Amino acid sequence: MEGDRIEEATLANSPVDEISHLALDIGGSLIKMVYFSTEKDKPQKDGRFLNGGLYFLKFETSKINECLDFISSKQLRCRGIQHCGFPASDKNIIKATGGGAFKFADLFKEKLDISLDKVEEMSSLVSGANFLLKAVPSEAFTYVNGQRNYVKIDHNDLYPYLLVNIGSGVSMIKVDGDGKYERVSGTSVGGGTFWGLGKLLTKCKSFDDLLEMSHQGNNRVIDMLVGDIYGGMDYLKIGLSSTAIASSFGKAISENKELEEYKPEDVARSLLRMISNNIGQIAYLNALRFGLKKIFFGGFFIRGHAYTMDTISVAVDFWSKGEAKAMFLRHEGFLGAVGAFMNYKLVEEFPNSNSLVGDLTDNGIIECRVHVSS
Amino acid sequence: MNINEETKNINEKSNSEEGEDTGKEMVPPVANSIHRSSSRPQLDLSGAAIQGNFEERDPTILLPNQSDDISHLALDIGGSLIKLVYFSRHEDRLVNDKRKKSMKERFGVINGNRRSFPILGGRLHFVKFETAKINECLDFIHSKQLHRGDNDNAVIKATGGGAYKFADLFKEKLGVSIEKEDEMDCLVAGANFLLKAIRHEAFTHKEGHKEFVQIDHNDLYPYLLVNIGSGVSMIKVDGDGKFQRVSGTNVGGGTYWGLGRLLTKCKSFDELLELSQRGDNSSVDMLVGDIYGGLDYSKIGLSASTIASSFGKAISENKEIEDYRPEDISLSLLRMISYNIGQISYLTALQLGIKRIFFGGFFIRGHAYTMDTISFAIQFWSKGGAQAMFLRHEGFLGALGAFMSYEKHGLDDLMVHQLVERFPMGAPYTGGKIHGPPLGDLNEKISWMEKFVRKGTKITAPVPMASPRTTGLGGFEAPSSKGDTLRSDESNLNVGVLHLVPSLEVFPLLADPKTYEPNTIDLAEPNELQYWFTVLSDHLPDLVDKAVASEGGTDDARRRGDAFARAFSAHLARLMEEPAAYGKLGLANLLELREECLREFNFFDAYSTIKQRENEASLAVLPDLLMELDSMSEETRLLTLIEGVLAANIFDWGSRACVDLYHKGTIIEIYRMSRKKMQRPWRVDNFDAFKERMGFGENKPPRHKRALLFVDNAGADVVLGMLPLARELLRRGTEVVLVANSLPALNDVTAMELPEIVAEAAKHCDILRGAAEAGGLLMDAMISIQDSPREKSSSTPLMVVENGCGSPCIDLRQVSSDLAALAKDADLVILEGMGRSLHTNFNARFVCDALKLAMVKNQRLAEKLIKGNIYDCVCRYEPAS
Repeated sequence: MEGDRIEEATLANSPVDEISHLALDIGGSLIKMVYFSTEKDKPQKDGRFLNGGLYFLKFETSKINECLDFISSKQLRCRGIQHCGFPASDKNIIKATGGGAFKFADLFKEKLDISLDKVEEMSSLVSGANFLLKAVPSEAFTYVNGQRNYVKIDHNDLYPYLLVNIGSGVSMIKVDGDGKYERVSGTSVGGGTFWGLGKLLTKCKSFDDLLEMSHQGNNRVIDMLVGDIYGGMDYLKIGLSSTAIASSFGKAISENKELEEYKPEDVARSLLRMISNNIGQIAYLNALRFGLKKIFFGGFFIRGHAYTMDTISVAVDFWSKGEAKAMFLRHEGFLGAVGAFMNYKLVEEFPNSNSLVGDLTDNGIIECRVHVSS
Repeated sequence: MNINEETKNINEKSNSEEGEDTGKEMVPPVANSIHRSSSRPQLDLSGAAIQGNFEERDPTILLPNQSDDISHLALDIGGSLIKLVYFSRHEDRLVNDKRKKSMKERFGVINGNRRSFPILGGRLHFVKFETAKINECLDFIHSKQLHRGDNDNAVIKATGGGAYKFADLFKEKLGVSIEKEDEMDCLVAGANFLLKAIRHEAFTHKEGHKEFVQIDHNDLYPYLLVNIGSGVSMIKVDGDGKFQRVSGTNVGGGTYWGLGRLLTKCKSFDELLELSQRGDNSSVDMLVGDIYGGLDYSKIGLSASTIASSFGKAISENKEIEDYRPEDISLSLLRMISYNIGQISYLTALQLGIKRIFFGGFFIRGHAYTMDTISFAIQFWSKGGAQAMFLRHEGFLGALGAFMSYEKHGLDDLMVHQLVERFPMGAPYTGGKIHGPPLGDLNEKISWMEKFVRKGTKITAPVPMASPRTTGLGGFEAPSSKGDTLRSDESNLNVGVLHLVPSLEVFPLLADPKTYEPNTIDLAEPNELQYWFTVLSDHLPDLVDKAVASEGGTDDARRRGDAFARAFSAHLARLMEEPAAYGKLGLANLLELREECLREFNFFDAYSTIKQRENEASLAVLPDLLMELDSMSEETRLLTLIEGVLAANIFDWGSRACVDLYHKGTIIEIYRMSRKKMQRPWRVDNFDAFKERMGFGENKPPRHKRALLFVDNAGADVVLGMLPLARELLRRGTEVVLVANSLPALNDVTAMELPEIVAEAAKHCDILRGAAEAGGLLMDAMISIQDSPREKSSSTPLMVVENGCGSPCIDLRQVSSDLAALAKDADLVILEGMGRSLHTNFNARFVCDALKLAMVKNQRLAEKLIKGNIYDCVCRYEPAS
C-alpha cells in the first residue's frame, strides 16, 4: 500500500537534462516543485507538441538553498528552452505560488537572477486539483479499512466539490468549476501543528520520521477514551463507543508522568489522530453546509500516510453517518505547484483531447505533452 | 394558585415524565417510607401550613404529612474541582425578629390574599472545593449537617467522574450513599434552570467587554449547549429534559491541560491558564504574515496576524522545547483549542439552524482570553451573524442539575422574579476562586477578613487599606487603583447565594414588565460609576458610626463595623475593577448591596434611634399641621399637600447635603422653611394635570378607588409629608395603601414601623383613626373601642403593606405578593423620594395613573436627569397608559 504513494523524484534520480519549465509552491514548511522534462530516448517533438513528463520534487523551506542550488545546477533557464523554441522572454521567470513566493522573491532575484511570477495560491490549488482530477485516471481514491479504492471521476459531474488542502494550515475551498471557487473555511490546526507540536514533544528530526513513528504508537496511553470515563463501558446513550477518544491527551492530566516517560511513538500517534480527526470533522461540517457530496483531501500533511487517511476517512464517515466519503489525491502535495505550472498555459487544455495527457508511470511522473507555441 | 391546583400540576408533571424515567426505575429506590406508586413521588401537601408567623417575608411551609427526606445537597465531582450546591431552608434568624414578631402581633400589617407557596423559601449556595482536598469538602458537609436526611440510608445525588471514585469515601466518612446522575441530564437541567430563573445569567464577551443578554423565556429553545470539559460535548436542547448530543470534539480542556502539562511542566490547570496571560503566541504559531513576508492575504480576508498554522513555527530546526517560553506555548495552545471549539460549535449550530450557542464547562472558568477567543471564532466564521454566550454559573451546571434530579426540589416552578442573588463576603471568593475553607459563622468570617487584610496577598479584590484598629473612619482608600497585580483574574465571575423567595411577584401595574428596567442611571458609563463609588465611599465612615452606635457602640459592634467597612469597600473595589462582576450593575443594585452588607454583619437597623427620634418629633407637630391644612380650601390644600410632600422629602439621611442641613435647625423649622421655598413651577411640574384629575378642572372624573403610596424616609418625610396626603385621599373616599420597606434601609420607614406611627397620628385625627381601624391597623387595646360600629364600617380603609425589599430603591419586578395582591384594585400609584421615583422608576410606565414626587438632593443627578439644580423638585404626573 505504501508503494502506492507518489514517489517524489529525488535529487539523485531526477533526469539531469532537459528541464524546460518549472513551477514552485513555496509553503510555510515545504517547497514543492513541478517541472517538465523531455526524455532522452523518446522522440521529443511531435508537431506542435513536446513529449515528456511532469516531475515532482520537494524541499524544506528552511533549506531553501538546496532548492536554489538545484535550479541553478539544472541550468534551467537556457538549455531546454532554447532547444525547444520557447520564447526567450520566459527565460528569467518562474511561476510560483504559496506565501513564500512573496517572501523569497528577492532571494531568487539576487541568487539566480530569476523573477518569481506569483500565481495566486487558491487559484493554483484549484487549477492543480482540477487538472489532476480530470487528466490523471486513478488520481482520486477512497481509503477504507486500509484499502485504497480508486474512484472514477466523471468529468461532467465533478463540480461542485470541497477541496481540503492540508498544508501547514488547512484551507477548505468550494470548487464550482475551472477558476470558479471560494475559500469557505479553514483551520490553523494542520500539518504545521502536527510537525511543530510533534517536534516539541518527541524531538523528532523530520516530518516523515514523525509520521513513521506514529505508525507504531498507541494513542490509548495518552488519550482519554470514552471507556476511561465510563469504566470501560460505551456511552451508548449518545452513541459513543468505549474506544472513541473523549479527550485527546486527556490522560496526560491525571497521571504523574512526565513527557520523558511517554513513548514518542504514542505521542505522535495521539497527535496524528487528534489533527486528522479534527480536519475530517470540520471538512465534513463544511461540506454539509454547502451540500457538497465530494470531499477531496490534498496537501502535504497526508503524504499517502495510511493512518492519516484512515483517521480522516473515519472522521468523515462518523460525522456523516456514512453519507460522505473522504477522497484523497495521489499528487496531494503538489496541487499548488501543478496549478502554478498550469499557469504557463503549456499543457493542452481540456477537454480538447482526453488522450493527450495523463499517464501515470510507476515512479509517479505524469507523462504528458506540452504545447509549443510558435 | 392554591395548593390543590399545585398538587394537580405535580401529578401531571410526573406522568409526563414517566416515559423517560424507565432507566431510573432500575435503580433501587431510596429507602424511605413513601410508597412509590408512580415514577416520582409527590409532595404530600395535605395539612400544609405556614410555619411560624404568617407575615414572614418568605415563610417556610410546614408539610406535616410529608416525610422529611428532602435532601439539601448535590455534588459534581470533577477531576480537579468539586462543585457543591446546597439548599438551606431557613432564613438566618434576624436579631430583631422578636421585636418584629411582637410588632406584628400588636398591629396587623395588612393581609392581602394570603396564599401558600408550594416551593420552599430558602437559599441555594454554591461552593467549590479542590478535588485534591476532598476532606475539606467532607468536613464542610459534616459541619453543616448537609448530608443528614431523616432516614438512616441517606442518599446524595452526584454527577461527574468522581461520583464513582469517591463513593466509598462518602460512605465511610459521612455514612451516605452517592447516587450517580447522568452528566448530560444534569448539565441540561442546570442550564435550563439558570437561563430561565436568573435574570443576568447569560452574557457575551468580546474584546474583554462583558455584556449581559436578556433571554426571552418563550424563545429559549432550541439552543446549543457546548460543554467544554476534558472533551467537548455539543448538545442541542429543545426543552426541559429534551436534548440530544449532536456533536462534540475530542480537542477540549483535557487536551489543553494534558498537552500543556507535557510542554510546560505546569503543576495545575490554573497555573497553565495563568501563564497564558503573559504569552505571545507569535513565537510559536505560524502567522499569515510569516508566510507572506508580513503581508496580509487580503484576497481571502486573512490578516497578517491570523494564525495560519498553530505551532507551525515550532518546526524550526535549531530550537528545542526548552527554547520556547512556557507562556507562549500555553497561549498558543489556548488559542488553538478555543478557536477550534468555537469553529466547530458554529458549524454545528449552522447545520441545525440554531441561533443561540451557550458555552459552559470547567475549561472556561471565566477566563477572559478563552471567552474572547471563542467569541472571535464564532463572530469570524458567522461573519457576525451568531454570537457566543457564556453563563455566570457555568461551573455549576452539573451540580445544579444533580440537585434538580431530586424528586422534590421545587426549583422547576420558580420564576425569575422569585430569585434574588446576594453576594455575602466570602461568596465572591468561593464563587470565583477558592481561598481556604468556606466560612461558618460571622465570627469566622470576620477573622478571615482580618487575616486577609493583614496578609493582603491572596485576596482577589483589592481591600481597603484601613489599619485594623480604626473603625473604618477615614481609612478607606478610593477604589480607583487598577494595579496589574490585582487584575490577574479580573474576569472571574462571581457567583452569589441564590435566595429563593416564592412570595415575590412582578408588580401587576407595570405597563410593560418585559422592557421594564428599574435603574434610571446606567453605571456602565465609567464616569458615572466612579462618581457613585466616591459618593458611597465618602458616606461610609458616617454610616459605620451610625451602625456601631445602633448596636450600643460595644467592642463587638466596633469589630463588626470594621468588618462591614472592609467588606463593602472590597465589593466596591471589585466592582470598580469589573462592573459586571455580580451581574448587570445599576445604582439600585449598588445601594442594595450596601444594605445587604450591613445586615450580613448583623447591623439590622443602623438608623433605628434616629428614625425613632424623628418620628416622635414629627408626630409632635403633626396636629398643628393638620389644623393648618384643614383651614384651607380643598383646592389650596391639594397644592399645599404636594408642596408638603416635596418639602418633607428634604429629610433624608441618604443625602450628604441633607445630613449637613440637620445640624442647622429643628425639624419643623426646616420643614416650614423648605415648604415656603416651594415655588412653582417646579423643575418637572405636572401638578395642573394631577389637579385636574383630582377633580378641580372642568371635568369631574371619578375619584380614585385605591391609591398605593410608596413612602420613603421615616420622620418628617412620612409623618408631615405622605401621611397628610394619605389623609386627604381617604377623606375623598380613596382607599390608601402605604407601601413601605420590608427591611430597613438607611432611614427609610419600614412596614413594621408604620402601624405604630399611624396609631400615634390617629390619636389626634378622626379621619386617620377610622381609616386605620377599617384597614385593620388598630387592633390593639391601646385604641379603645369606644367608637360606634357605624363609623368603623363606613370608613375608607388605610392599609400598610410591605414591598418585599430592603433597599432605598425598588425593583418593581420583585415585590411582595401582598403588595401585588393589593395593587390589583389600585388605580393610582404615588412614588415618593429619590430612591423610588428618580434613581429607579423615573421612566417606569404604569397601567394606572402615576405620580412621582421627589426633591433632588444631589447636584449631579439634578443636572443629569432634569437639567436642574440641587433641591429642585419633581412632580411628574402620568395618566394611565
